[in-house]
Amino acid sequence: MTPRTLTPAAARRETTSTPRVALVRPKKPLRWITTAAVAAAVVGLHAVAIEGTDFKPELLVDGWKGMAAFIGDAFPPDLSWEKTLKPGLEATLVTLWIGLLGTTLSVPFALLLAALAAENTSPHRLVYQAARAILSFFRAVPDIVFALIFVTAVGLGPFAGVLALICHNTGVMGKLWAESMEEIDAGPQEALRTAGANRIQQVANATLPMVVPQFVGLLLYRFDVNVRSSLVLGLVGAGGIGLLINQSIKSFQFDSMLTHILIVLVLIIVVDQFSAWIRRRLAA
Amino acid sequence: MTLSGQGLSVQGLSVQGLGKSFNGRTVLEGVDFSVAAGELVAFLGANGSGKSTTLRCVMGIASPDSGSISIDGAALETLQGRDLQQARQRMAMIFQKIHLVPRRTALDNVCAGALARIPTVRSLSPLLFPADVQQEALDCLDRVGLADRAFDRVGRLSGGQQQRVAVARALCQRADVVLADEPVSALDPRAAEQVMALLRELAHSEGLAVAAVLHQPDLALRYADRSIGLLQGSMTFNLPSTEVTADHLDTLYAPDRDVSDRDVSVRTPSADRTTAA
Repeated sequence: MTPRTLTPAAARRETTSTPRVALVRPKKPLRWITTAAVAAAVVGLHAVAIEGTDFKPELLVDGWKGMAAFIGDAFPPDLSWEKTLKPGLEATLVTLWIGLLGTTLSVPFALLLAALAAENTSPHRLVYQAARAILSFFRAVPDIVFALIFVTAVGLGPFAGVLALICHNTGVMGKLWAESMEEIDAGPQEALRTAGANRIQQVANATLPMVVPQFVGLLLYRFDVNVRSSLVLGLVGAGGIGLLINQSIKSFQFDSMLTHILIVLVLIIVVDQFSAWIRRRLAA
Repeated sequence: MTLSGQGLSVQGLSVQGLGKSFNGRTVLEGVDFSVAAGELVAFLGANGSGKSTTLRCVMGIASPDSGSISIDGAALETLQGRDLQQARQRMAMIFQKIHLVPRRTALDNVCAGALARIPTVRSLSPLLFPADVQQEALDCLDRVGLADRAFDRVGRLSGGQQQRVAVARALCQRADVVLADEPVSALDPRAAEQVMALLRELAHSEGLAVAAVLHQPDLALRYADRSIGLLQGSMTFNLPSTEVTADHLDTLYAPDRDVSDRDVSVRTPSADRTTAA
């Protein structure tokens, strides 16, 4: 070893070969058993799920020709203005409006139910349980089922789609909002309680203003999801671009179908960029 | 100014025989003290000595097992309903973590101290707060020296400024008794000095009774009129700050030293092993 001068820090590193404190991890034999049991359970569940869904990759390999023919028929996309593009764009706007109204018009209901269904803002245990149950119901019933129900009342068309989204979105957004209220720092609310503010005053002046950024973020996320849901609602008669996609498939006009799907792709990207932009502005 | 005021029905806060236990473990026992109007009293003690619990019991956030709490001679346990609520509102709390709403302006946060006086419908949004409450809140901000920041969001203020806004909120509550739970622990030294000076000024020139739990004995001895030492839930001294000696402080923090001694003794065998290796 060549002689050299060491800085104090380097000298300390040099001496680490003889540790001052021995590194001995405490042995936890039970942890291995737990890990193995969890792994076995996960593998077992997957085996059952593969069986239950007829999951057979070889079918996909054998049937590739059918898929290729289908996709080949769709190319090139039909770009004729009168026949495909114009109705596609108009229907896309309807889809967007369904998603927008379905989101915004559910805000009052979601807000009320969220405040009642969050532990730190709910006035009473029974109210809390009831609000949770209502939210669970609206969340458990898929928007498509709501759409089918409303179609029987208001007929085919976008209005049924808006009503369906309002119902389902109230359930989902109310749950998400309630959770974000429960996660918020309880300090400001406690401070107002010690100042003699009643429950409503505490919520309006501490809890709600604290969660505004989370609320807006979740609202934009739900808008994004709802625009995509309203596409699917079109398939069951709620109008919009989903209806056109369904029609073009049924009449074997796969080139029109591809055009509509491309328009949808643009719509989804625009909505996504828009909500990302708003969220960035909020965070700043 | 009287510094003792012990046990008598004084203007200000008086606490007798305060006791509290959690799950059979006694955290407070026989705590007697009073904080006279116009006086700043500091509570000193190690972690777990019961100083924060004392304040939380007085404030009603925690419920004591025994003891009597009086404000201006009126015992809280003899009051009920609306009277009790009004008596409690004469006490305001300042928190270590400040507990303001960062997205709202300083003025709106201070107005929230007056919520008990505002009808519920007019308190749903700051835009609906009555004009006289807003004017009073601005005056309170002026008393803590922050009138010029009234319309800034609290989140944009420094930690020391935020704690002064919290003090203004207590003032807007029209509290006679201010309880401060480690008000300066999250602040840098200069901001801590400012907040302590403010609390002392509110006591001396506005006649508030101020009790502050502090983790810094030097701040307590320099700013507080009287210091109370707590050790494992009991009071060890209750003296004018000028009479508190280094020995008094040593008794308070001695248990901490025991803990660190034990840490060393735990580490010793492994150290022996490595040197032997």
